[in-house]
Amino acid sequence: MDEILFFVAGIAAVVAAAGTVFLRNPFYAVLSLVVHLLSLSLLFLLLYAPFVAVVQVMVYVGAVMVLYVFVNAYVGGGTEPQGGGAPTLRAFSYAIGLTLIATIGIAILGSGLQVIDGSGPENVRASFGSPSEIGELLLTKFLLPFEAASFLLLVAAIGAVVLARRRRGALPGEERMVAALDLLAPTGTGSMREGVGAINPTPGGFSSRITPSQGPSSPPGEHDGGGDDDGDAR
Amino acid sequence: MTALVAAPLGAVNYAEPWWAQLIKAFLIFAIGFSLVPLVLLYERKLLGRFQNRPGPNRVGVYGSMQPLADIGKLLFKEQFKPRGAIGWLFVAAPIISMVAALATMPLIPFSNRPQDIFGTPVGLYGLDSEIGLLIFFAFSAIGSYGILLGGWSSVSKYSFLGAMRGAAQLISYEAAQGLALLGVVMTTGSLSLSAIVDQQGDQHVWFLVPQIVGAFIFFVATLAEINRTPFDLLEADSELVGGFMTEYGGGRFALYYVAEYVHLIVAGAMFSTLFLGGWHIPFWQGAPGFIDPFVVLAKTLVVVSVIIWIRATLPRLRYDQLMSFGWKILLPLATLNALVTALFVVAPWS
Repeated sequence: MDEILFFVAGIAAVVAAAGTVFLRNPFYAVLSLVVHLLSLSLLFLLLYAPFVAVVQVMVYVGAVMVLYVFVNAYVGGGTEPQGGGAPTLRAFSYAIGLTLIATIGIAILGSGLQVIDGSGPENVRASFGSPSEIGELLLTKFLLPFEAASFLLLVAAIGAVVLARRRRGALPGEERMVAALDLLAPTGTGSMREGVGAINPTPGGFSSRITPSQGPSSPPGEHDGGGDDDGDAR
Repeated sequence: MTALVAAPLGAVNYAEPWWAQLIKAFLIFAIGFSLVPLVLLYERKLLGRFQNRPGPNRVGVYGSMQPLADIGKLLFKEQFKPRGAIGWLFVAAPIISMVAALATMPLIPFSNRPQDIFGTPVGLYGLDSEIGLLIFFAFSAIGSYGILLGGWSSVSKYSFLGAMRGAAQLISYEAAQGLALLGVVMTTGSLSLSAIVDQQGDQHVWFLVPQIVGAFIFFVATLAEINRTPFDLLEADSELVGGFMTEYGGGRFALYYVAEYVHLIVAGAMFSTLFLGGWHIPFWQGAPGFIDPFVVLAKTLVVVSVIIWIRATLPRLRYDQLMSFGWKILLPLATLNALVTALFVVAPWS
């Protein structure tokens, strides 16, 4: 059973990884990457690591790849650039690719192939790969890499927020605290107050009120003061 | 022990031989599928009463055959496909949805004591894993692909918009849903669902009381995850015709529809497992074991009723309201809840 699962997952992983690289349609490439990650999680399951397997599905398939699919569905209309890149850029990317292949090749030849002849560890502890054991290792032996990685993620998140703000160019009215009360009185909702002209539905800005006398279309006879609007009219 | 999948899945506790597991797998499948028409009828009846009308009452006694008639009608309809649709994805998407929904069903524990059925001890759960809660989240993550691919592959603007909304909504609320459960997990010290229920029995109080904030956030985020009102923006009829399933009809539509109700049942059962004490009956310690599954089902029914009640009461949120509610209120609240719970767990005075 283990062998069948291993070969099914292994072949699926290799084929899907190749598909990610060679498929022309970016959407299918991303889907292929999803299949690849799912088969990897199956391989993790076979390696006595159920926690890693499930987290792989949760984080990569569930969050990261959904975003990829999202972006590809929106902007990737199958019109991928052909060729692409200046000659120097191409040479540079080839160099990086070759370096990566060489590094991984050395790593595999140096360590991985010795294990193929063996039959794995004899008796694995029952708690091996359990969440509690992984958590303990993360907070004792691998504390520094763990914290460094989390710091890196924090930097990335803050960077994304800063970049997104700068590109859009915040309107003066938007420079405000994140207020929970915004939900209770949302702007531009088509609410009853906007319908009767009590609020000016300016998207992105504060709700500014319209004085009844401001509008040229409103005849003076109808200016009977719509209840609460007169008090703080500008 | 001849487990079907050998050693590497050793973290899974199987109490029974492999043939009993096979029978159990079919049983869970059958029970899940037979609960769907019941809940479907219950929802329509209850919605009818909320709106001062009788609800379905023509087919069968008290309208009891109505869901079967509906499902039968859908299954015998023509299977059609829009001309531009991407064939295999269009076919596969509802199946992904269905499989992912049904796969969460075995995780619900109905009793912790293996019951003695014809001399064979049988645990009343499909899978009592050490990481059951994470498996639940993993499958709900896979389930979002059913919606995403279905909307994308039917090459229709309404479907596409519904699917894109769905992707954003599911990602946003999954974060809050997961964080809200950290309090429960920290107090129990385990991710196993049966351990969480046991903990509620040991401490003599359901997690609903100490984890009231977490329960609220989990409940709201679950509503968003299973696309129920007021978060049913994926299929907002008034804006998007039918959302991601606009182009679906017949059996494929039935698959989406049934998957939605399986999600509803699993959400109810999951909430009662995590926060309502699972199979425990208040003020009755020595309940016989055969009652346990019915207790869980009764609690599930209560939660499902509340969800239907909410559907009858609340209007749909707007899209930006949905997003800002998820990110600006639920997520910080869930983080705060986790922090406070962590303080109480490690506090020297307790």
